[in-house]
Amino acid sequence: MIRVESLHKVFGPRPQEALDRLAQGEGKEEIRRATGHVVGVQDVSFALEPGEFFVIMGLSGSGKSTLLRCLNRLVAPTSGHVWLATEEGEVDVAEVGARTLRRLRQEHLAMVFQRFGLLPHRSVRDNVAYGLEVQGIGRAERRRRADEVLTMVGLEGWGRSLPAALSGGMQQRVGLARAIATGAKVLLMDEPFSALDPLIKVQMQDEMIRLQRQLGRTIVFITHDLDEALRLGDRIAIMDDGRFVQVGTPEKIVTEPRTAYVADFVAHADPTGVITARTVAVAPDHERVDELRREPGARVIAHRTQADVEVVVGDDGRVQAVLADGARAAPTPVDELLAEPIPRARGRDRAPVVRGDRTLRTLLEARTRVNLPLLVVDDADRLVGLVTERELIHAIIEKRGQNGDAATEPAVAAGVVA
Amino acid sequence: MNAWRTDAVFDPIRVPLDRWFADAISWLTLNYRPAFQAMKVPIEVILDGVAAVLAWVPPVAFIAIVAALAWRWAGWRVAAFSVAAFTLIGMVGLWRLTMVTLSMVTASVLVCLVIGLPLGVLAARSDTFRGLLRPVLDVMQTTPAFVYLVPVVMLFSIGTVAGVIATIIFALPPLIRLTDLGIRQVPGDVVEAAEAFGSSEREILFKVRLPLALPTIMAGVNQTIMLALSMVVIAALIGAGGLGRPVVEGLNALRIGQAGIGGLAIVLVAIFLDRLTQALGEGRRTKGA
Repeated sequence: MIRVESLHKVFGPRPQEALDRLAQGEGKEEIRRATGHVVGVQDVSFALEPGEFFVIMGLSGSGKSTLLRCLNRLVAPTSGHVWLATEEGEVDVAEVGARTLRRLRQEHLAMVFQRFGLLPHRSVRDNVAYGLEVQGIGRAERRRRADEVLTMVGLEGWGRSLPAALSGGMQQRVGLARAIATGAKVLLMDEPFSALDPLIKVQMQDEMIRLQRQLGRTIVFITHDLDEALRLGDRIAIMDDGRFVQVGTPEKIVTEPRTAYVADFVAHADPTGVITARTVAVAPDHERVDELRREPGARVIAHRTQADVEVVVGDDGRVQAVLADGARAAPTPVDELLAEPIPRARGRDRAPVVRGDRTLRTLLEARTRVNLPLLVVDDADRLVGLVTERELIHAIIEKRGQNGDAATEPAVAAGVVA
Repeated sequence: MNAWRTDAVFDPIRVPLDRWFADAISWLTLNYRPAFQAMKVPIEVILDGVAAVLAWVPPVAFIAIVAALAWRWAGWRVAAFSVAAFTLIGMVGLWRLTMVTLSMVTASVLVCLVIGLPLGVLAARSDTFRGLLRPVLDVMQTTPAFVYLVPVVMLFSIGTVAGVIATIIFALPPLIRLTDLGIRQVPGDVVEAAEAFGSSEREILFKVRLPLALPTIMAGVNQTIMLALSMVVIAALIGAGGLGRPVVEGLNALRIGQAGIGGLAIVLVAIFLDRLTQALGEGRRTKGA
């Protein structure tokens, strides 16, 4: 959908000189001292699939806003390419002429701003219709579409009000509606929720998730708030000093931070909505899982932490039975258990079955209802692993899974030293 | 020795700036008078048009219209004031002169708008242009009107049109300055948003910058109107008609009463126009905030 190739942005009168110095391996700070040029974005590349929610996260001054503005050339890149998929094939936003650029902005790249950027003298509806107006769409049609989108973002009936009559959260809904209304496939969002109160912010994030499920746009979302990044992003890029330090799924970022910088960030993150069941679980062949005996067509295993519970796994990998306290516990889908209120005492008559992509939070909730190991399964219902309280505690405190420990530990250690 | 302590120190070198100045004006008059006379034409057309309309409207209808506009834009107080003010003006026998003054002010302000808005927009766009324009505006605003009355008469001859031109010179600067200021004060994020949605420069100017600068521009219009009214008496010195006449004549003949009611009428018109244009600007402001 959008493909960025070694993008650089240098601020100053002779950017080429700074680029040459960068190419010779000089640092950002050296270049600033020697030439007075500020390197905003340094050799950034990434590619987004249609419908992907890509979050760029970094502190102020990390270059994230500059990078976002390079994507629609509100800031002209110094070098590099921004390939955008259109009906006429890929075009390079960094190279196109002024007229094409305007058309791309009108039809393909809509933007949402931190300070909303609404026109105070226009009604909400005319603000939402602004992009369509610039596209040259007639009054009646653009009003109709504006009202449609206003309903979509929950502002039905507010069309005639002026933006000043709306709260901050509502104003940003207008900003969002304006971007959606143009029909652009790519939404560029510059810290859209940073100016909002914490409660409203979370509401807007939920709204964003709902809208994205409905619309499936390709989104580049800037934030300095890690929890927001973790909630919203399909993938997250951590940016520091104009560069991408790490790009990955929220879970990878939290469980396998590549540098000390990223590790510092995630140290205070809430992992319960990010880490997945398949990461938390111990595989049937893990050292903490014992094979007790073999039966015809199946083997019986038990987790050492709850050795009194036996799990019978068929040769096809599916769980056949769970035996606790000498009785059979029925394997039960976790959602069935979560629909019930929390019992006074945790039961041992049903064994929760969880898909691998469910989050740590789901596992914790399941454990409040049942005192048996959780059975994590894949799409074909084959057992992926077991989760007991030991794994849950480990996941919350260490923010790491069980299986990749050996691989991730040195990386973090090295990062902390560096 | 003593020469150093007095202004005799400057005697060795005399700069004949006064003569150069006079020569320049004479040269302009000799060679370009037709061009300057041609410049009068559009102003004359506007002035005559406005004057014809104002002379044609029956006083009672005029007062009704003025009251209705004032009521709608500025509330009933201003409406009541304008009814009282214009009735009084009529009753002291200054109706026709007031209409002439109103048409002069209207024509000056219209010409100021036509010249001032584009210059203000350009000044907001380019710091270089603004730098060049500023001293010119300073000169226009601070040069005493009496200084440029003679050149104006030489180039444009005497009469109401010459009076309007002198008025324009004096009343134009605040409109340019406040248009410039208003546009520069438009929040950058709103302009950026318009740009991000693919607006052209033209669309950004007309859909974003000018509407958002409007309250400030209206303050400039208000200033321009006030300055134009303050020129009424001075314009009468070079033969312009209107309320300046009774004041100047009254002054010359020491007819204090005549000068007094002339002055009063000017003040009443000024207050009326001030409240009306201020209300227009503020209405936009509260609506826009």
